[in-house]
Amino acid sequence: MKTIPAGLLRISLCMLVMGIISCCSVFAMETADSVLHLDEILVSANSPRKLATVQELSGAELQSLSTTSIADALKYFAGVQIKDYGGLGGLKTVNVRSLGAQHVGVYIDGIRITNAQNGTVDLGKFSLPTLESVSLYNANKLDVCQSASEYASGATVYMRTRKPTGDSLSVTARLASFHTYMGRVNAQFCHNGWSGFIDGEYLNSKGDYPFRYKSQYEDTVGRRTNSDIEYGRVEAALFKNGFSSHAYYYQSERGCPGGIVRRLSDKYNNVGREWDRDLFVQASYQQSFAEKFQLKLNSKYAHEYLRYCTDYLENQNTARVDNHYRQHDAFMSVSAAYFPFDMLAVNLAYDARMSWLDADLKMFCPVRRVDQKAVAAVQFNYRSFRGAASILYQHFKDHTRLKVGAADPLSRFTPSVSLGYTFRNLTLKAWYKSIFRAPTLNDIYYTQAGNRNLKPEYTKQFDLGAEYSYSSPDWFASVQADVYVNHIDDRIVCLPVKGTYTWSMMNYGKTYCRGLNMTASGRYMSGPWNFSLLTSLTWQRDLNRTDPSNENSYNKPICYSPTLSFGITGIAAWRNYSLTVSELHVGERMWSYADPEDVLSPYNNVDLKLSANFSKVLASLEVNDLFDVQYEHIPRYPMPGRNFRFTLTYIFF
Amino acid sequence: MSHRSKLLSFLSALLLPLLSFAQERIILLNEGNWQSDNGKITYFEDGKIVSNQWFRDVNGSKLGDTPNDIIAVNDNLIAIAINWSNIVQFITPDGKAVAATEDVPNNRKLATDGDYVYISSYGHECRVGDKYEEFTKGFVAKIDATTFKVIAAVEVGYEPEGIAYYDGRLFVANTGGYAFQESHEYETTVSVIDAATMKVERTVDTGQINLYGKMSQSGKYLCINSPGNYYEVPAAAIILDCEAVIAGKPDKECFVSLPYAATYSCVTTDGRFYAIGSRYSYLTGDYTFNYISIDPEIAMLTEGLDGIYEDFPGTVLADIKKIGMPYGLYVNPYTGYIYATDAAGFVEGGTLYQWSPEGKLLGKHGVYINPAHFLALKPDNYTGGINDVIADPADSDSPLYNLQGIRISSPTPGQIYIRNGKKYIYKQQ
Repeated sequence: MKTIPAGLLRISLCMLVMGIISCCSVFAMETADSVLHLDEILVSANSPRKLATVQELSGAELQSLSTTSIADALKYFAGVQIKDYGGLGGLKTVNVRSLGAQHVGVYIDGIRITNAQNGTVDLGKFSLPTLESVSLYNANKLDVCQSASEYASGATVYMRTRKPTGDSLSVTARLASFHTYMGRVNAQFCHNGWSGFIDGEYLNSKGDYPFRYKSQYEDTVGRRTNSDIEYGRVEAALFKNGFSSHAYYYQSERGCPGGIVRRLSDKYNNVGREWDRDLFVQASYQQSFAEKFQLKLNSKYAHEYLRYCTDYLENQNTARVDNHYRQHDAFMSVSAAYFPFDMLAVNLAYDARMSWLDADLKMFCPVRRVDQKAVAAVQFNYRSFRGAASILYQHFKDHTRLKVGAADPLSRFTPSVSLGYTFRNLTLKAWYKSIFRAPTLNDIYYTQAGNRNLKPEYTKQFDLGAEYSYSSPDWFASVQADVYVNHIDDRIVCLPVKGTYTWSMMNYGKTYCRGLNMTASGRYMSGPWNFSLLTSLTWQRDLNRTDPSNENSYNKPICYSPTLSFGITGIAAWRNYSLTVSELHVGERMWSYADPEDVLSPYNNVDLKLSANFSKVLASLEVNDLFDVQYEHIPRYPMPGRNFRFTLTYIFF
Repeated sequence: MSHRSKLLSFLSALLLPLLSFAQERIILLNEGNWQSDNGKITYFEDGKIVSNQWFRDVNGSKLGDTPNDIIAVNDNLIAIAINWSNIVQFITPDGKAVAATEDVPNNRKLATDGDYVYISSYGHECRVGDKYEEFTKGFVAKIDATTFKVIAAVEVGYEPEGIAYYDGRLFVANTGGYAFQESHEYETTVSVIDAATMKVERTVDTGQINLYGKMSQSGKYLCINSPGNYYEVPAAAIILDCEAVIAGKPDKECFVSLPYAATYSCVTTDGRFYAIGSRYSYLTGDYTFNYISIDPEIAMLTEGLDGIYEDFPGTVLADIKKIGMPYGLYVNPYTGYIYATDAAGFVEGGTLYQWSPEGKLLGKHGVYINPAHFLALKPDNYTGGINDVIADPADSDSPLYNLQGIRISSPTPGQIYIRNGKKYIYKQQ
């Protein structure tokens, strides 16, 4: 790190210690942003924060990847499976270590993005340019002053908004394959300790990509229809010292394409259309008192509107569904940290969330859920040893005028414990976490599916990990490896009710999962040259342990889960130019146990991004799926093949 | 080897399957998963699965998405309704694709009089001849089994499901099953259509909503399932007397409604119905199972007070009760062998159970995902008759197909063709 000034080096080290950023940034252009982390409350270098198992993409690396959304960035992390129905408009969710998408908490600036209706967050709705970093924590982040909900998921994704460091105004335009047009305006300021930005983005895409299915039994060639999307997003944020706030509005209309099935004509039916309007405003405030206390307040209000129509205007022959869903969500949390001694931190927090869901479904009644959480956590460090333990209490109570009443209240305690030992650059750690996801409002109340008698879906995770890092003036390298065992009990799934033609949510399924996650990264700098290599590898064996009497499925791998996947990203930067090459390999996945032919083929995806960065103009050219590999995440939902994106940003000041 | 002996061995290879006199020949439709394009046919012969992807093996192509019903049109032709592919597929009894039509989208269930195929549809448009007809509610289409074209269609209730042919009429059970999503209410009626004119003759109100699922026919009696709305209205089974309907008796004298679910039903060789299913309510989450056999004549006479039994032969009842996820029930009308399927967890292959007519469990066989709909083929050298299968009487007038399953109007002498499901060498007539 020869070229980085000493002061900056210190900051970078602090960030390393904090665990906020696992690898320090080497790009000079990022320095301005990094400085702002000084505002964060730092504790001593031996802070227990590094205990958490974390992967992070930040700063220049994050922006160097060829990505359109958070989901694209997360696929480079070990242990992550993306579920994607294809196209720009397709729902994108992440599954971490096979726990299932609903066990992944997604946080923006420390406050959870929730969806009381279905419990999943569509990561396609969040874009990267306003973010400083994206991190994935297995289990949860281990900060000294966290809200209770930050402890309440099996895996957590943190999106961290970039704080402006000066005044600027820029416009961006993008032209991409499949009739995709995007425009973006960003204005930011920084005065008298206040900083903030307004960012607006508009995108329109037809998403009409070609696909081909060729096998022994078919040669189907077509062009995806109803995969279009149009969205507008406006975000604003305001920061000062311990105060941060964020407002977000997203509006979209999109097609929901169906599976490609046999048709005599080449007409592939559309499944539906969806209109979204999402709004949230959030604020948090953080203050230290006398170096012994820390206090953090979070608040948030969110409104979500969703209209879903089956596409009967174009397809006269399916059910004419036209439903509107409205959700309101109000959230407050108060967290306190107390440091009685140098080596001990105590964290107490209480969160309350109220969610309302209304829908014009038949046999549906508005539901209100009160979700309260409290946590008591301790973190200690003694010489090279560190530890953390927490006990989380969650209480859910629903209110509805439904004739048969709401589901019974749910309350549970769940523990987690982490231990670590550091010897020079090597850290060994072990952790255990038990957590559940409560049945969502859809799971319980949705017309002709909901089940009031659902139990929570539990996960138990065990992890043993090691981290090693090396740095010299020119070099930085780090390796991280974790082996883990997960149990998932009482999976909440929708299944037909025995002896009927109707479906219901049920607790059905146990999963036993063993795996290895590895990441290795290295950086080398020499004069105007910067080289980075980021790699991740996941080996996973997850087994269906649902029904010992069913020899067709018991102890078979979980559907859609690859045994092996890995990603390699190389970034080469020279002066104002940079080239990123990424290769992602996803191994074979079975999607049913019924036929050995029911597998999704392994695939390799190679993406390229070339960018040039001049003082007023930034230009980038991306080629995704360079070799035009035809692949799918869900059978019969083809993904787009090779596509291009050209992006131009002009900075006025 | 001379050309002649080559030809002889070729012919004997062709004829061998016929000479083996298969008795139990069952076609089973595996629905697969919705939108996964993995509907598959199981072909089962004399205690063995011949193939779990019979259509693919025979034709080298896929069947389509969610096959929903299968019937024998005549001795040469089988029709399959492939719901989400919007296809009605015609095959020969040896599995060869003959023709397919896309004119009846969102098709559901099939009936036939031997010359025409009648098919119910939830859709609102149908191509009749060269133009599209539109319907507010659902419709029934009439397909000519020689041209494979829709020649007429008639509107019935919303979401018509089960369909049966009896004495020149079609009996169509209307579900109104989209009522929980659309603005209309559930239907309670059976539409009666004159099959020749394709006009609705009469509408019988059963007083039970949502006449959904499998409809079984035993002579003049139909067994119709009403799952209720899965909330306050419980499931019911309706026994309908088609002759009473045709005779113009008042609605109430045409049927009897029984407090059982007939989710999966079939006809026995002595004319009873087997009906299994459960009455389920989302309000309580409780479900009660029933496994019954119904004597329709006694049930009608006693207004449901008698004629309902729990007497399945041998171990059939005990075995079915152990099935995790029953998904189909069938009695081979030619031989009396009993079949049921288990869909298990819906991502693994299901299981086919076979019992002898006396109810002895003969075997369990692994099949594909969601095995649901059965068709028994006539045993080789079968001479008996069945009430509701109308065989084509005029043998020499039956359509002729080549080995690729394509219908041939001017055959070449000396070539091998298929007529009435049998291969033979065409001679100059």
